[in-house]
Amino acid sequence: MRKSNKSSANYPPCKYACPILTDVREYVQLIAERKFTDAFASIRRQNPLPRVCGRICTHPCETACKRGQVEEPIAIASLKRFAADGLWADQYKAALAIESTGHKVAIVGSGPAGLAVAHDLALLGHSVTIFEALPVAGGMLRVGVPEYRLPKDVVAAEIEAIVALGVEVKTGVKIGKDIKLSKLSEQGFQAVFLAIGAHKDRKLGIAGEDELEGVVSAVSFLRAVNLGESPQVGKQVAVVGGGNTAIDSARSLLRMGAKVVSVVYRRSKEEMPAAEEEIEEAIHEGVKMAYLTSPVKIFGEDGRVSALKCIKNELGKPDAGGRRRPEPVSGSEFSLDVDMVVCAVGQAPESSLFADELKLSETGERIYVEASGSLATSLPAIFAGGDAVTGPATAIEAIAAGKQAAVSIDLYLRSKELPSVEKDKREETQALPSTVIERTRSFSRPSKINLSVDDRLKGFDEVEACLSEDRATQEALRCLHCYLGAKVDEERCISCLTCVRACPLGVPTVSKMGEISIDSFACQACGICVLECPVQAIDIDLDSRAKIFKQMETAMAGVQGQRPLIVGFFDFHGNFGAGDIESLRRDYPNIVPVMVFGVRRIDTVDIFKAFALGADGVFIARCPSDNDPFLEITDRIDRRVSYAGRLLEACGKKKEQLDICNMPKEGLVEKEWVDALIGKIKGMS
Amino acid sequence: MITVEQKKIEEINTMTKDYSCLLVLGCEMCAAISFAGGKRQVAELAAAIRLSRKGSGEEGEVFEESVARQCEPEFIDLVKDKVADCDAVLSLACGAGVQLMAERFSDKVLLPGCNTTFLGVTEELGVWSERCVGCGSCVLDKTAGLCPIARCSKQLLNGPCGGSMKGKCEISKDVDCVWQLIIDRLSRVNQLDKLEEIFPVKDWTPAGHGGPRKLVREDLKS
Ligand SMILES: Cc1cc2nc3c(=O)[nH]c(=O)nc-3n(C[C@H](O)[C@H](O)[C@H](O)COP(=O)(O)OP(=O)(O)OC[C@H]3O[C@@H](n4cnc5c(N)ncnc54)[C@H](O)[C@@H]3O)c2cc1C
Ligand code: SF4
Ligand code: SF4
Repeated sequence: MRKSNKSSANYPPCKYACPILTDVREYVQLIAERKFTDAFASIRRQNPLPRVCGRICTHPCETACKRGQVEEPIAIASLKRFAADGLWADQYKAALAIESTGHKVAIVGSGPAGLAVAHDLALLGHSVTIFEALPVAGGMLRVGVPEYRLPKDVVAAEIEAIVALGVEVKTGVKIGKDIKLSKLSEQGFQAVFLAIGAHKDRKLGIAGEDELEGVVSAVSFLRAVNLGESPQVGKQVAVVGGGNTAIDSARSLLRMGAKVVSVVYRRSKEEMPAAEEEIEEAIHEGVKMAYLTSPVKIFGEDGRVSALKCIKNELGKPDAGGRRRPEPVSGSEFSLDVDMVVCAVGQAPESSLFADELKLSETGERIYVEASGSLATSLPAIFAGGDAVTGPATAIEAIAAGKQAAVSIDLYLRSKELPSVEKDKREETQALPSTVIERTRSFSRPSKINLSVDDRLKGFDEVEACLSEDRATQEALRCLHCYLGAKVDEERCISCLTCVRACPLGVPTVSKMGEISIDSFACQACGICVLECPVQAIDIDLDSRAKIFKQMETAMAGVQGQRPLIVGFFDFHGNFGAGDIESLRRDYPNIVPVMVFGVRRIDTVDIFKAFALGADGVFIARCPSDNDPFLEITDRIDRRVSYAGRLLEACGKKKEQLDICNMPKEGLVEKEWVDALIGKIKGMS
Repeated sequence: MITVEQKKIEEINTMTKDYSCLLVLGCEMCAAISFAGGKRQVAELAAAIRLSRKGSGEEGEVFEESVARQCEPEFIDLVKDKVADCDAVLSLACGAGVQLMAERFSDKVLLPGCNTTFLGVTEELGVWSERCVGCGSCVLDKTAGLCPIARCSKQLLNGPCGGSMKGKCEISKDVDCVWQLIIDRLSRVNQLDKLEEIFPVKDWTPAGHGGPRKLVREDLKS
């Protein structure tokens, strides 16, 4: 079992894996409940760039997702995009500090790190100015990532929302050149955050690189494309490198009219740092891959690139980073006929502008920050983070750095102190017991809906479509509700073993002395033990009994007077769509829908409660059995309802007043069925 | 454990109808394990009584409470205030619990919500079966660990009757003939010769036929 330390205590793996600890479970559940506005608010509270992250985040949360141990992880990033792209997102209002602190902070660089720190500091009441060297704000999101993955207007809208908090963005100002770093304090800035990113391409270090026309760096090529400068592209192009920058360059080249684009990478596909999905899409669009290949020399004719000489490699022993080192195979040289070579072999921060003032990392290019995690540089009141400190990394790591910097800077401005940040030990996700995996029903992850290759190559239109409401809710319902499950109150437990026997996944275990343990990671919160436990020693966070009662009470309070009044317990796992609940409410004002994650959690007591609250009838609408995440429990629902029915009859109710309904293939419930039920209840003498 | 079964709601309603203020009192040991006296069953039964009363127009009040074991004076003393405030207590314990309650609260009406069924075991969730009658002098050493008194319909001690057929008792094909089981098991443990020893006439005094039983441990009592 996972040791509980501060950072991991019952965090679901998705949250734990996220650099900014996004409450993924919460928003996924809200999407499942079709509470999209709340889902967006949940995301947005932590992440100032949700539309960006919904599209390009490397989603370590998905890698950690428990569902991934059953079949495939939840499409968390797509769900984020869904929540962030909808019209409901416009209703979000950030909670601004009531009073301004009067402190001024300068931020250098408008990439995700700079935007995140600006956002958080503005909310805390500080006055923030972002200085950006380029004519446009957004950093690599705007001038690196191509539009087909992240449209400009998406980035612009995110920045607009941050500007709306009172943040000033000054583009076209290069700090260190136009304004010296040291001059910022003279302008009244009491703290500075350097988030200059890593925009300087490394060189290949081979002959021909510097003198020939047609050799370009990937970052400057992508920047030119993104700034609409329509750079000239060759007909046959080699892109050297294996990261996302290489793949983005290759795919952009195809869109700019290149006929043959080959990615030359020195190791094999497995070692390629680019996201697998990106590699697949590139191949799908026609990019050729030359794995295990290194460039040796660029040949030219009349001062222009004419060919790239390469050598084949084989993989040798692992290097310090654990990746196997490519070793050239002698005699395997060959030439690629190309008229353009794009170098995408890594980037470094352009820190030379600050080299005389600031300490740099040992490798000489990254900005040095203290080991405490406060992101303080060697100079007082100057902080740094993002790619400028880590080297090329990811948007979400840059956002995390920005958020940490906001905490540090805020503390520094208020008290001249610096926080010491506890490094959280990120552990591997716990393994699910194989019995649990076997007994968990698989559901497939929605396949992506992408533009056809023909349409993609016509321009830079966004490739991937957003999930529809119905697909998003279905996807969110695959969540296994980590840590929202059963918890035993040891003082109440009488070791009756009911939970051990009733759990469909075999999660609860018992010791010789009768001590019950429920592995909170393996439990999937079906709720069966909660209700079967004879002494009610088990509680649950997902749809607790109290929550179901409350939902019923609130809903019933609104409809008294309607007759016959009928409570319907509906399973979220039914195949109903947008508007189905609303149309039920409209067509049947006398039906009170109570939505739950599985009607298996509805107990006799809940049914009696409905009658006690004034219902004339109750029905349990269970989802089609194929949709139920738990196998072989349909029977249990039947038996429980018939038990409750007998008891009700003995208490003077009629058997017509309680029924089970199987939710149809589409919609919440079939009208004929409801009409018949209402008729039966009305007709009771 | 002692298994108990909740009485039918109709019987309970008749029994309780004259007492406007009713305390439904659970017992969280054997009765709870039998799904008859735990907090959950208390809630369910109280809800059922309330609903029935609502139908008949005389609602009164139905309170819910539980104790660890109603067969222990200390536990039941803990709910004496609740007991004092009601007109009658509907106890969801076995007969022993109901009686101790009645003794302890001498001027209160005590009603049994359960029937005490037997001393038995859990076969699976929701299924129990009888194993022991508490005869006071155990014979299991001679019968391969299977009790002919509890499990033979005729309580025969010296082998099966003529009605044993294909391992089943003549009273029903759903009832195993325990003597068949005893013989099978004795042969498995190589002790068939035990059958040659004839049981003498059983002394039923320790089984209660000599009047109510009492157990005293001189070393423990005060
Ligand atoms: C082609 C490409 C594709 C990528 N794809 C992904 C992806 O799919 N998913 C992902 O998570 N990450 C991706 N990344 C990485 C991600 O974009 C970066 O990790 C992230 O943008 C770093 O954020 P940052 O704020 O540290 O720096 P940047 O975003 O680089 O922003 C730094 C900003 O500072 C400005 N600046 C620099 N010097 C100065 C100065 N002296 N004065 C004023 N302004 C200055 C720069 O112009 C720039 O706008 C990609 C990167 C590239 C290059
Ligand atoms: S069902 Fe309840 S009382 Fe029984 S063992 Fe489990 S937790 Fe304990
Ligand atoms: S909530 Fe369901 S999955 Fe979790 S322990 Fe209880 S019965 Fe098992």
